[in-house]
Amino acid sequence: MRRQTKKKINKVLFWVVVVFVFIYLVFPFYWALNSSFKTENQLMMTPATFVPRDAEGNFAPTFENYKSVLTNPTFMRAILNSTIVGGVTTLIALVIGSFSAFALGKLRFKGKKLFLYLVLSMTMFPQVTVLAGLYAVINTLGISAMLSMILSYMIFTLPFTTWVLTTFFKELPVEIMQSAQVDGATAFQTFYYILMPLTAPAMVTTGLLAFIAAWNEYLFALTFTSIETQARTIPVAISLFTGKIARQEPFGEIMAGAILVTIPIVILVLVFQRRIVAGLTAGAVKG
Amino acid sequence: MGKTPTGNILKQEQSLAYKLLLPTLIVLALVAIYPLGQVIVTSFTNRVFASDQETKFVGFDNYAQLLGVTFKELEPKKDKETGEIIRNEETGEIEYERAIMVLPRTPNRYKELFQFNWFGKRIVVGARDPEFLGAVGNTLVFTFFSVLLETIIGLFLALVVNSNFKAKGLMRTTMLIPWAVITVVSARIWQWMLQPGTAGFFNMIMYRLGLSDGQASFLTNSALQMPTMVMVDVWKTAPYMALLLLAGLQMIPKELYEASEVDGAGKIRQFFQITLPLLRPSLAVALIFRTLDALRVFDVFQVLMSSKMYSMASYNYFQLIQNRAMGLSSAVGMIIFVIIMIFSIIYIRAFGVDQT
Repeated sequence: MRRQTKKKINKVLFWVVVVFVFIYLVFPFYWALNSSFKTENQLMMTPATFVPRDAEGNFAPTFENYKSVLTNPTFMRAILNSTIVGGVTTLIALVIGSFSAFALGKLRFKGKKLFLYLVLSMTMFPQVTVLAGLYAVINTLGISAMLSMILSYMIFTLPFTTWVLTTFFKELPVEIMQSAQVDGATAFQTFYYILMPLTAPAMVTTGLLAFIAAWNEYLFALTFTSIETQARTIPVAISLFTGKIARQEPFGEIMAGAILVTIPIVILVLVFQRRIVAGLTAGAVKG
Repeated sequence: MGKTPTGNILKQEQSLAYKLLLPTLIVLALVAIYPLGQVIVTSFTNRVFASDQETKFVGFDNYAQLLGVTFKELEPKKDKETGEIIRNEETGEIEYERAIMVLPRTPNRYKELFQFNWFGKRIVVGARDPEFLGAVGNTLVFTFFSVLLETIIGLFLALVVNSNFKAKGLMRTTMLIPWAVITVVSARIWQWMLQPGTAGFFNMIMYRLGLSDGQASFLTNSALQMPTMVMVDVWKTAPYMALLLLAGLQMIPKELYEASEVDGAGKIRQFFQITLPLLRPSLAVALIFRTLDALRVFDVFQVLMSSKMYSMASYNYFQLIQNRAMGLSSAVGMIIFVIIMIFSIIYIRAFGVDQT
């Protein structure tokens, strides 16, 4: 009897912990959602309320913040910029990365270890170190801010895709390649027709993680768009967000923007969560 | 035709491998290797971006400017007539002369960094660039507390999610949310929650609970700034830590726990004798990843603190973009590089990661 009550207490305590953890994880997101439906006056209401309320205390959400963000050309432009930069970066990092991953994972050549070490050290490379150098390179090349971002994002996406895809290629059985070679396929044909389809799931995972990394990037984006402001990506736009009238920071609109740019990523993450967790830990455990 | 067919195949394979590696090599050379070389060279010059000033080779001047410190003893204040040492009337502590009186002004000006007592003497530390050394200090303190807390919280989260209960899947999904939110966006959300006055969430909650008057300025009060930064960072990174540790937890065989239960070991003993030792490799990797990440922290500092408080990376950005001081900024970059290298080496030595 006693043992059972103890067990029950433990169970209740455990659920209290679970609920607490859940609130800790989602609360900031909830608060942003709540604030995004508040008017300027409701935002300044003290003390702050957990749902948008009018003066009488009735539930009174507003959609004005969303309307104004969705018609804000700077913000919409930023979403487009981020999508292009993230998409192109991911594509290039996947294509080039899978080339070298195939070589590193399946081919025999001299200097393999050296190259592997180069890639590995690049994954740990502090990007901020080369900020001034990259800035100089980009000014010499005279390329646009969008291209600058795509190029500079290679510094963290390419070593990552190469490294993770190499481990995937390594795990593919050699027999598949050998039988293809017996059938007279060249190494490139083996790569293109046999290995690529097999690694498609790995590509999706790696690509998604590379895309999120590029979508998130702030330091290079802020630096390279400091002159060409129309190329600003979401993180830069959100960090410099100003309202129509220069007054206090328009937190209602900022929160609406925050929710809008977070939802697509959250949906992606929910759809691909198993793969993402596998990809995150594969990169880490094998790193 | 002296070559054997296998030799030919090997040669073909090798040349294909080099061709496949070429694009990666070119891109990495362009975005990392060449810029790194450029940074090393520029760090020894006084180059200023977009200016008429002629770029000159200045040796280690930039490094001396950033790292130059001096130690000076402060004399106690004395009464002009009696020559007695003045003590504070309330606390009885000795009062010292102002640091600005003893710190050198030529050829280079030193500003006060901090003071400390040493065998009954009062020493002032002066720095040529107190902002940079402050940024290094901030980053190290930030890294220490943030990695410590996210490891503890991350381990806790991982243990919770690893136990068997109904909403397990939901919790695991939820853990991905902070990770998926753009860092700048999360910083902005926290900035809003940290507003001074009870329009801000934290002030409202503390006021409601009777913990404060609800007027705390988390982002401008210098005593609250660092804890706030750590709190904001931990929210986003602890779940990531938890995911890395969860993978390690799942590799621990269940039989070990069953066996120790038969031996009558309690949960706490199990944790220290089974979980923690077997989690060590995952913990090591997660710690390295997070420490190196925390050392180059930029986003949260730039968004929440801007020029109020620098991290090493945000100071680098400030020097490059605001001051256009390419030479100095390059030297900052190199110092960050060296600090991160030192940390990597310490970690790899300590955990023996290269052996596993």
